[in-house]
Amino acid sequence: MSCSLTQFSPEGTTWLSGGHFSQSLGKKRQNRVSVTISPLELLLLEMASGFYLGAFILYLSEILLSRPPRIPWAPVTAGVGGVLFQSLAIFIRFGFQGHVALLSLREVLSFFSWSLVLTFLYLEHQKKVRILGLFIFGIAFFSTLMVIGISFRTPVLSTGEPIGLLLSIHTLLIDLGLASAALSFMVSLLYLLLDQFLRRKIFNRFFSRIPSLETLDQLNNNFSGIGFVFLTAGLFFAMIWSWEKFGRTIPFASQGRLAFIGAIIVWLLYATSVLVRWNRRFRGKQAAYLSISGFLVFAATMLVLLFFSKGSHFIL
Amino acid sequence: MIKITLAGVNHKTAPVDIRERIAYPKEHLAPAVRTLAHEETVLECLLLSTCNRVEILTITSNIHPAPDFFTEFLSRTHPSLNGVSLRPHLYYKTDTEAVEHLFQVTASLDSMVVGEPQITGQVKESFEICRKESSVGPYLNQIFQRAVSAAKRVRSETAISHLPVSISYAACQLARKIFQEMSNKSVLLLGGGEMAQLTARHMKKMGVRSLILMTRDPSRGEPLAAEYEATYAPMSRLEEFLAEADMVVCSTGAETYLLTVPIMESAMERRGFQPLFLIDIAVPRNIDPEISKLSNTFLYNIDDLRSVVSSNQKEREMETFAAREIVRQEVSQFEKWRAERSTVPLIQSLRQHTEALRLSEIERFSRTLDALPEESRKQVILLTQSLMNKMLHPTYQTLRGSSNVDEAWEWITRCYGLPPDIVRATGSETDKESQGKSVLDSPLSDLPLPGEQPC
Repeated sequence: MSCSLTQFSPEGTTWLSGGHFSQSLGKKRQNRVSVTISPLELLLLEMASGFYLGAFILYLSEILLSRPPRIPWAPVTAGVGGVLFQSLAIFIRFGFQGHVALLSLREVLSFFSWSLVLTFLYLEHQKKVRILGLFIFGIAFFSTLMVIGISFRTPVLSTGEPIGLLLSIHTLLIDLGLASAALSFMVSLLYLLLDQFLRRKIFNRFFSRIPSLETLDQLNNNFSGIGFVFLTAGLFFAMIWSWEKFGRTIPFASQGRLAFIGAIIVWLLYATSVLVRWNRRFRGKQAAYLSISGFLVFAATMLVLLFFSKGSHFIL
Repeated sequence: MIKITLAGVNHKTAPVDIRERIAYPKEHLAPAVRTLAHEETVLECLLLSTCNRVEILTITSNIHPAPDFFTEFLSRTHPSLNGVSLRPHLYYKTDTEAVEHLFQVTASLDSMVVGEPQITGQVKESFEICRKESSVGPYLNQIFQRAVSAAKRVRSETAISHLPVSISYAACQLARKIFQEMSNKSVLLLGGGEMAQLTARHMKKMGVRSLILMTRDPSRGEPLAAEYEATYAPMSRLEEFLAEADMVVCSTGAETYLLTVPIMESAMERRGFQPLFLIDIAVPRNIDPEISKLSNTFLYNIDDLRSVVSSNQKEREMETFAAREIVRQEVSQFEKWRAERSTVPLIQSLRQHTEALRLSEIERFSRTLDALPEESRKQVILLTQSLMNKMLHPTYQTLRGSSNVDEAWEWITRCYGLPPDIVRATGSETDKESQGKSVLDSPLSDLPLPGEQPC
């Protein structure tokens, strides 16, 4: 697979915000156009991050105060507010780009935190796992903050090349897979923590807020399964896209190879995690360890790839 | 002026031999309330009797009943107390203190086990008996409503009732940290000790799927199993049932370990390594402590459970600070209501007095007024009404906001030349008349107050 950049058409889409985001980025990348964030999108992201911070503080206070919350719906409401603003920001971003592919760290992070919060809100409605809110909104807050920071610091580079449906589906599925893996990771951490509390007989405020081991194991099972499905489907679409574009399913170029190896390791870990549940010995703690390692490899692969791709999808 | 007085004996002030003699059996409570309600000075009364306390709350007019009134009443209604001096064991509280105490009792802040839920129900029961005996009026009604509201707030806004403080209940709460649903769980009871029975009772309440009881002696085990709707099985089938149970409560008198690591390893293998909660409340222990190192097994012995209870007790103590604050808020709400209500008879008397003055002045000028055209005459009469309302309005406002109603009564009677006896009599009569009704139903509240009257 060739990683050389296609020729930039001068008519390609450009969004200049105040002029200072658009910079020349060296000769090698002159055929890319710098695309920055729109002021409205930025404002919406700032609002979303504010709401996420509010939700995080409310969940934290629930744990610190050790008593039932006076307004139990307040953190969820703040979360809903945040997700609405972020939905609008993502909608604007997709509309502005003209496609739904997540090609940059900024977009990946934004969609990641959005899908995390959305899943949590559903989960909170179904299972009342309030303690997860602390982690989810903490991550969502920092993610949106990073999105805002990246938007100011590094403009997104685009080749101006039209993005196909296959690539869009691939990036969305992989990001959803990452969100599921992150949830599975957090649930697994809580499982191991509660297991330790129960074994060491530690009964603190945090202990009283964690749901039962059985609930956490079940959630881990569900998220791992969902993540595995998203990951498998995402990889499948990537291979079809690669075949269509380059005539081969397994990339040869260094970055593509790295991505492929990372993806295969993650896929194998999740496949193991799902398959070993058939063997009943692998439940609870063992499954939690697998989910944690799965997410760590997944996140590391994504970060390495995004680092090598320097602001755009590595494959373009 | 209405006086609230509370006197009683509880676990903090009297030993059990006094408490057991002073407690009213359920069937004797209603006649005792009736006797108390017929006392001349008592307008309303509440009699609360539990195993740990007997408390009497009275609403009287102008004067607080003395402590001797209560000791005499208690001695009269308990012939077995003859010759016992109750005075050293009696606590006596008045007005705000009395209300605060009752609120704390209802919210279980004064209980032997702080936060236990039964006391609120007992207060409700006592109130219901008093209501049936017609000893409840607007003041007690308000006190009861606020006390229940304070108790509800304490339960919902603090963690006081969320932390178990009995060993058997703590074991059940721990089970909830391991299992999501109790309805599909099976509990194996090894031995039929008292603690195991208590745990079985709690487990049954939590809705476990099945209880299996194993004892060495079937003649003891089978009746117990029948009592708890459990299945009886002999000890020889332990390994078989161990694979199926999700919780094991062990309290036999065995001198050796009944459950060892090899037995548990084999059981865990057969149960597919699903979590297993083991409670060993036997002394000497019946479960090898090494078992706790096995994956997905959680072993708690009697000391572990005691440490759970003790940490919960400390947490509850911490929560009482927040709970007392809630009680204080509710008491201050009640005091505000009480102060407002206490001024109503005074406002009424003042209104009647000034109205009489106004009418007599109109009468004095009747000849002049009669000479006026009808429309002008009406205007002049309206003017007098309006003028009087405007002048009295600040007085009413001051009265309503007054923290010291007694002083306000004194001040008003002096300023306006009201005969003090008339004012006080009106107040007492009104309270007697409005027994059993809420303050909003009071005939006094039908009177147009200054702010409501068109000027």
